[in-house]
Amino acid sequence: MLLRLSLFVWISVAMVVALLKAPLVPVLLETTRVLYFHIPCAWIAVVALGWSMLHSILYLVKRDLRHDDHAAAAAGLGLLFCIAATVTGALWAKAMWGAYWNWDPRETSIFFVLLLYTAYLALRSSIQEEEKRARLSAVYSVIAFVAVPFLVFVVPRMYDSLHPDPIINRRGKVDMDPMIVLCFNAMLVGFTGLYFWMQSLRVRVSRLERRAHAA
Amino acid sequence: MPASGSNSAVAVWTILRKECRSEWRTRYGLNAALLFALASLTAVSFAAGRLGDRSDVLAALLWIVLLFATLSSLSHAFVREVEGRTMLLLRLVASPTEIATGKLLFNVLFLAVVEVFAVPLFLVFTGAPPVRWGPFLAVLGLGTIALAASSTLIGAVIAQTRGRGALFAGVSLPVLLPVLAAAVSGTRQMWSAHPVAPSLRLLAAYAVALLAASLLLYDHLWED
Amino acid sequence: MSAAARVVVSGVSHRFGPRRGLEAVSFDVAAPGVLAVTGANGSGKSTLLRILAGLLRPTTGSTTLELAGKEVPRAARRRHVGLASPELAFYEELTARENLAFAATARGMANVHSAVNEALGRTGLAARAADLVAEFSSGMKQRLRLAFAVLHRPRILLLDEPGSHLDAGGREVVERLVQDACADGLVVLATNDPTESALARERIELSGRGLDHPA
Repeated sequence: MLLRLSLFVWISVAMVVALLKAPLVPVLLETTRVLYFHIPCAWIAVVALGWSMLHSILYLVKRDLRHDDHAAAAAGLGLLFCIAATVTGALWAKAMWGAYWNWDPRETSIFFVLLLYTAYLALRSSIQEEEKRARLSAVYSVIAFVAVPFLVFVVPRMYDSLHPDPIINRRGKVDMDPMIVLCFNAMLVGFTGLYFWMQSLRVRVSRLERRAHAA
Repeated sequence: MPASGSNSAVAVWTILRKECRSEWRTRYGLNAALLFALASLTAVSFAAGRLGDRSDVLAALLWIVLLFATLSSLSHAFVREVEGRTMLLLRLVASPTEIATGKLLFNVLFLAVVEVFAVPLFLVFTGAPPVRWGPFLAVLGLGTIALAASSTLIGAVIAQTRGRGALFAGVSLPVLLPVLAAAVSGTRQMWSAHPVAPSLRLLAAYAVALLAASLLLYDHLWED
Repeated sequence: MSAAARVVVSGVSHRFGPRRGLEAVSFDVAAPGVLAVTGANGSGKSTLLRILAGLLRPTTGSTTLELAGKEVPRAARRRHVGLASPELAFYEELTARENLAFAATARGMANVHSAVNEALGRTGLAARAADLVAEFSSGMKQRLRLAFAVLHRPRILLLDEPGSHLDAGGREVVERLVQDACADGLVVLATNDPTESALARERIELSGRGLDHPA
C-alpha cells in the first residue's frame, strides 16, 4: 500500500515539476513536454519485450506455468505502452515536422515492435489448451528474439537509406538542462515502477484464474 | 541403434523424398501455388504497368509476389500433416529436428519451382531492365532459403493452432520483414550495378540465426 | 540379472484441461510379460501409452524405460518402442508398402525390404501391399498399424485397443503378435475388451475421471 502510494506521489510530482518548472529545449520548444511521456513509454515497451522473452525462455527450460504468466502479462502491457509510444510519437512528429509518419528509423523500429506484440498476442488467442499455448507462444517469442536485432537496428536504417529524406535525430546534439535531465530520469524510474506494479497485478490475476479453474 | 549423423541424414532424405512423392501424387499444393503466383504476378504487373526505368519499384514488387507465394503455400507443409493426422507417424520414425529439416528442404525446393515459373514471367510482364544473372541468382537463392527457414519454423507453430491462413500471414510477417528488406535491397543493388554483397551477408546472417534457433526450438514444438 | 526390458511409472498424471486427464498411476513391469491397462473411456489409457512412448510429458511424476538394465532417454524411446494407436494415420496417397518402407528407411533400418515383407506377412496384408491406403477399410488400416508397430522389431510393444475394427482373423493376428512379443519383450495393452485383457498376465486399472464421472 505504501509502495503504491509513494509511486503515485513520485510520478505526480515528477510530472508536475516537468510540466511547470522544467525549461524548454531550444529546438523542441513547447513539444519538449512530450519527451517526459513518450520516451518512457517506448522504454517500457522495450523492457516489457525483454521481460516477456526472458520468461518465455525460462518457461521452455523449466516448464513452470508461472513463467508463462509473466510472459503473457508483459506482452499485454508492452503492447499498451508501445501503442502509447507510437501514438505520442506520431503526434510529436506532426507538431515538429508536419507529418504523422515518416518511416524514420525510430518510428520504424517501434512499429515493428508493435507488430511483434500483436502477432504474439494473436497467436496466444488462437490456442485454448494452457500448456500448448504456453509452449508455442514461448517458441514464437524465441523466434522473435532472433528477429528483433534485425528489425530494430538493421532494417529501419536500410529502409531509410532508400529514401532521400535526411535522418533527423530527435534527441539531437542538444545540451540538456540539468532540470530536464532530472525530471526525465524521474519519469523513467516512475514508469518502470508503474510497469512492474501492473505486471505483478496481472500475474497474480492469472494465478488466481488458474487456481479457480483447477478447483 | 544409436543415433548418428548419417542416420539423421538418411531420415531427412527419406522425409524429403516422401514429401516430393506425396506432393507429386496429389499435386494440389503445387498447382495451387503456381496458380496463385500467376494471379498475384498478373495483378501486380498489370496494375504497375511497364516499369523498365523504375528498377527500385520493380525489386519491391518482385519480392512482394514471392512473399505472397510463401505465405500462401509454405504453411501447408505442416498443416497437411496435422490435417491428415500423420504427425504421430512422423514423430515415431524421426526426431523433431529431422522432420523439420526434411520439411525445410522441401519448402526450399517448392519455392524454387514456383520461382522458376514466376520470376521470368515477372521480368517479361513488367519490361524489367536486363538482369545481372550472377548477383540476381545469389539474392534469389539466399532470399529463398531465408524465406523458407522462417516460414517452416512459423508453419510448424501455426499448424498446431486453430487459426490457419490469416494467422500464418500475420504471425510470420514480422519475422519475414528482414528477409524482405534485405532481398529487395539486394535486387535493387543488382539492377543499379552496385555490389550485392552487403545484402547477401544480411540474408545469410539472418538465415543462419534462424536455423540455429530452429535446432534448439524444434524439440519443444511437438509434445502432445 | 537385469531384465531385457523394463518400464517403471511413478506417480504419473497428465492434465489436458481443468477436467480431462490421467490420474496418478504407478507401476513397475519387466519383460517377459504382458500388462493390460484397463479403465473407463476418458480415464487416460491412450495418454499413458503416449507418455510411455516418449511423445508426451506427464504433468506430474516420471517414467523410466530400461533396456538390458540401461535407461533409454525420452527422445530415443521411439526407436525401441512399437506403438499402435487409433490416432495413428498413414499417408493415404501412398501404398501400404510405401508407408512401411518410408517408416523403415527413415528409422535407418538395414534390410528395409525384408523387414517390410515380414511385417506385412505377419499382419496378413501381403496381398494388399500395393494398394493405396486411401482404399483400405478401417480393419485393414488397423492391421497396417500393427504392422507399423512391429516393423522395427521393438522390445516394447504398446498396443492401444489393438482389436478395434478387426475381424476374427485380425484378432488372431493380434494374439500371435502379442505372444511373439512377450517371449522376450514387454507388451502393454490398453483395452477394455475382456478377450484382449485375457492375454495379459498382469493388469492395472486406471481410475481416472472417466466419462461417467461428471466433474
